[in-house]
Amino acid sequence: MFDFFIHVASIACLYGVLALSLNLQAGFTGLVNFGLIALFGCGTYGAALASGMGWHPLLGLPAGIAMAALLGLFYARLGRKLSSDYWGIATLSIAEIIRISVTNEQALTGGAQGISGLPLLFAGLKPYDGVARLALYAAVLALVWLFCQRLVKSAFGLSMKLMREEPQLARSLGYDLDRIRRVVMLVSAAIAAFAGFLYAHYLTFVGPDQLVSPETFLIWSMVIIGGIANNRGVIAGAFLMQFAMAYVPFVKDALDLPTDFVAAARLIIVGGGLLAFLLWRPKGLFPEKVGGSNGR
Amino acid sequence: MIEAKDIRAGYGDGADILTGISLSADRREIVTILGPNGCGKSTLLKTIAGYVRPRAGSITFGGTDVTAVPIHEKVRHHKVGYVPQTDNVFGTLTVAENILLGARQLAKAEKEKRFAALMDQYPALAGKKNRKASALSGGERQILSLARALIAGPEILLLDEPSAGLSPLMMHEVFDAIGAIRDSEGMCILMVEQNAFEALGIADRAYVLSLGQVAMTAKASDLLEDPAMRKLYLGGEVHAE
Repeated sequence: MFDFFIHVASIACLYGVLALSLNLQAGFTGLVNFGLIALFGCGTYGAALASGMGWHPLLGLPAGIAMAALLGLFYARLGRKLSSDYWGIATLSIAEIIRISVTNEQALTGGAQGISGLPLLFAGLKPYDGVARLALYAAVLALVWLFCQRLVKSAFGLSMKLMREEPQLARSLGYDLDRIRRVVMLVSAAIAAFAGFLYAHYLTFVGPDQLVSPETFLIWSMVIIGGIANNRGVIAGAFLMQFAMAYVPFVKDALDLPTDFVAAARLIIVGGGLLAFLLWRPKGLFPEKVGGSNGR
Repeated sequence: MIEAKDIRAGYGDGADILTGISLSADRREIVTILGPNGCGKSTLLKTIAGYVRPRAGSITFGGTDVTAVPIHEKVRHHKVGYVPQTDNVFGTLTVAENILLGARQLAKAEKEKRFAALMDQYPALAGKKNRKASALSGGERQILSLARALIAGPEILLLDEPSAGLSPLMMHEVFDAIGAIRDSEGMCILMVEQNAFEALGIADRAYVLSLGQVAMTAKASDLLEDPAMRKLYLGGEVHAE
């Protein structure tokens, strides 16, 4: 049970990093990205690429970040032409195109079978390797949280919030919205790719099933339920959702339900949780602290 | 100061809304743009401001070609202040924070000096400087957005229907404030307005638009006295004070 707890907490930490990435885009800047999982996928496949090419595993990180940065810039470029809702649909479509391409490509990505055999971090520290990995992921989460907090409290963070609240007014005050969008997409893409890199070296396997769109909506549910535009809130949302999903099989066993129940219940938790919070508590468990150019 | 020549403009792939408009405005002058709904007033101001890129024609500010310069660069590099018609304050920020957003490029001492001067100029804002902008009335918001545009010391001020949605009393206050800016700062002010008589009361010159073209241009005082104009564009029987 302890190992299971360590496992769930490790995954929750990595999803917390992803939730922080989405929060920078959607929460603070108003960029409704439904294709976040593709940025995460750049990180996972960056790690796989380094492994497949026989590079040092750490080289997978810059490779993944570079791919995510390019994709993030492409997303940002699309944002110049498309309004918020159409941009969201476009990002979802691009993420799906990438997933289908990865599934059907064999030489680089291993196709539908994916790529396995990536090195597991701290494998030599058994039996404490799980704890060591959790400590690393928790440290990464804390550092990313600190970075995000500093960013959103800076002058640039204020410009992100102005763009979210009144974009046309922000332009009339001299803010270059294209630049803000570009910078936010670059930074959050790098964060998502970092999470992907760690995830790949945790599962030691990378495959296109990790890039399905329900994963993006799982991260959205973490952000909405935790509290959009509240960095602590979205981390809480990540842990809450991850633990809720992890304990579904125990409920199934306790109630003697069929195996199909697990997958269905997880979808219900994500969809139902999103819907319930959007209807009855749209600001989430930990609402954004508004007011003041610095403390928000 | 502002020179627009043969401007053609529209939105997206749609038809031209402005079909060859020329206009000028000088320092120490309020020029108002009037006309019936849908004649292209706001589109003209948005084109001059840089929200809409003209399909043809040229725009210069003080002799510098700014035809293709977007709004955010005009504000930063060409001393332009723009006051939008609606959604003109950030409701979650305080009055003071809203005003200081307009002074990002100023040194701290200069920022504080100008902020203090604006508080003297607009005592209604001074008394509420630490309140959320969302708590202000429509007229106070309009004064706030004027103050925010003024703090950077612009040479050109573009106003999009500053009296929109205001009570008659607040409308007078806002127009008085605009007239005072022209007199004290010597600015070039270009203003789109629906309340034609109020606007002509403080303006020096006016352009009357119809179907995307300039139908008439004249001194504001002449337009006020022109019965044909009154009937055609300014509401017929309504009389100025």
